Amino acid sequence: MFWEFAKLALKSMISNKLRTILSLLGIVIGVASVITIVNLGESASESIQQEIAAVGLETISVTARTRDREVRRLFDLELRDRIEQEIEGIDVAIASHQYNTRVRWQNKSYSGTVMGVGHQFAQSMEYSAVEGSFFSDRDNEENRQVAVLGSLPAEELFPDGDAVGQFIRIFRGDTARTYRVVGIMEEKSPSFNIQFNQYVYVPYNTYANRLTNIEFVQNYVMKTVPGADVLQVADELDAFLDRIVGSEHYFLFTPSTIADMAANVTNTLSLVLASIAAISLIVGGIGIMNIMLVSVAERTKEIGIRKAIGASPGNIMTQFLIEAMTLTLFGGIIGIGLGIGISNAVVNFFNWDFYPLVNVYFLAAGFSMAVGIFFGLYPARKASKLDPIEALNYE
Amino acid sequence: MTEAVISLDAIKKYYYMGEFTIRALDGVSMEIKRGEYTAIMGPSGSGKSTMMHLVGCLDSPTEGIIYIEQEDTSELGENDLAYLRNAKIGFVFQQFNLLSKMNALDNVMTPLMYAGYSYRERVEIAEHALEQVGLGDRMKHRPNELSGGQKQRIAIARALVNDPAIILADEPTGALDTVTGEQIMDLFEQINEQGRTVIMVTHDPEVSSRCRRAVHLRDGKIVEDI
Repeated sequence: MFWEFAKLALKSMISNKLRTILSLLGIVIGVASVITIVNLGESASESIQQEIAAVGLETISVTARTRDREVRRLFDLELRDRIEQEIEGIDVAIASHQYNTRVRWQNKSYSGTVMGVGHQFAQSMEYSAVEGSFFSDRDNEENRQVAVLGSLPAEELFPDGDAVGQFIRIFRGDTARTYRVVGIMEEKSPSFNIQFNQYVYVPYNTYANRLTNIEFVQNYVMKTVPGADVLQVADELDAFLDRIVGSEHYFLFTPSTIADMAANVTNTLSLVLASIAAISLIVGGIGIMNIMLVSVAERTKEIGIRKAIGASPGNIMTQFLIEAMTLTLFGGIIGIGLGIGISNAVVNFFNWDFYPLVNVYFLAAGFSMAVGIFFGLYPARKASKLDPIEALNYE
Repeated sequence: MTEAVISLDAIKKYYYMGEFTIRALDGVSMEIKRGEYTAIMGPSGSGKSTMMHLVGCLDSPTEGIIYIEQEDTSELGENDLAYLRNAKIGFVFQQFNLLSKMNALDNVMTPLMYAGYSYRERVEIAEHALEQVGLGDRMKHRPNELSGGQKQRIAIARALVNDPAIILADEPTGALDTVTGEQIMDLFEQINEQGRTVIMVTHDPEVSSRCRRAVHLRDGKIVEDI
């Protein structure tokens, strides 16, 4: 009996194409939203996991956030040393500072960022040189005027290669100083706020003492000891910094805080889409109820005939419930397809990898049928209660 | 003496229209025996269609009791009445009342579906029924592709398919030309000869003359029963 009725429903859907599409719009949008939410959520969180894996789970970053000169002075190299020594679980702390400027070689120019950073940076970030090498501890200690290029400045300034050993000019205001290129770094995809490829790297001491006259460290990147509990180390570090500089004067990032932020964004997005989904499923359900009521009215005669040849009220009810269910299942399937398309497009836009949750497709299809049953109940009941004679005489 | 397949005991059917009461049937008692071929006659408004609906369990009387094969139908619920219509009664209407979106075979299979037969059984039984009424080569045609006579044959096949004891026909030749009407009447005669009780509502004396018994109704009462 199920298949007969499903077949009948499909036939009448096909013969009323426009009506079918219009009445299914709500369900389609609702289901598409659900599928989009789920796929985007999953793909986003997978991508965040990958970004975390790229910088390493053992990374903690602290950024100064103050305009108060007295407080700023507290962010110095001594603080870096104290962190290294006093916080158990921190393997290495690297100071960094950066500013935007121009860099020139012969007649070529690169507008970008110069970063002064400790020599351990490359090794800690698992960031290797493709030519030459990252600067050394001695370069740093001796304030040597050496520079290492990220892949972007390398390409802009030295499209023909042969950069190592050349002298580039780094501007500070209107004056420029000459630096010798000692290395070109590999391409590395950005992680959080570190845009590896865009920087021109110079030793931190050179940066602080010769290139600029900065009085404070902008950022500390820390690597924890292998096997340490990063979150616990971060808590200790937090407590330590609170005592020394005050909690309102810095940002502390761990991969997990960043993941939390990203999760918040995804959650907000999910909430918006979930509301759309809920509203359109309700509106869609009402649309289904409406179309089923029309269908019952149009087919009063048919119901009369069926009753005359022996259909029980239950048979009639089943018929219309199956019809409503077939209708919404069809809408659900369209919605699933649409949702896959939309989420795939968004994922491509953000350059994430696509992680679809296929189980949810079945859930969504089942839920569509449930919407059909719920909103089809009233029209089906109405059909089952029609008086046979009145129904038969209906024209 | 043969048993009564249908018996009506002081049946009244009143319709209340505001202040007026329409007495469609006003105290009708009669018995129809197994294998009888009865015409119910009368002018329009005489109550013959109402009687047909009551006997067919599509409606219930205001007063009185209808027995179908000795069963008191006033005691039955919706589902039991549906079963009765499905298993014991076959309807044939003036306007055929086929399901227009389904082909001949599907139409005839429908009562079998409600009776709970499997798909395979339904096809087999329905094909046989259509062959019996001479439509073996029109099974996949839809009603709108067929003539009036052919449609009525489908309707008859549908009425017969569950092997009911009673066939109720409401002006079955009313929408047909004379020749086709004659053929349909022949078919009913055959059905009756197979032992089925046939009750036919008509106002056409030609038709009633072929029945063995004619019950005349006027203003909701039996005025003649021959």
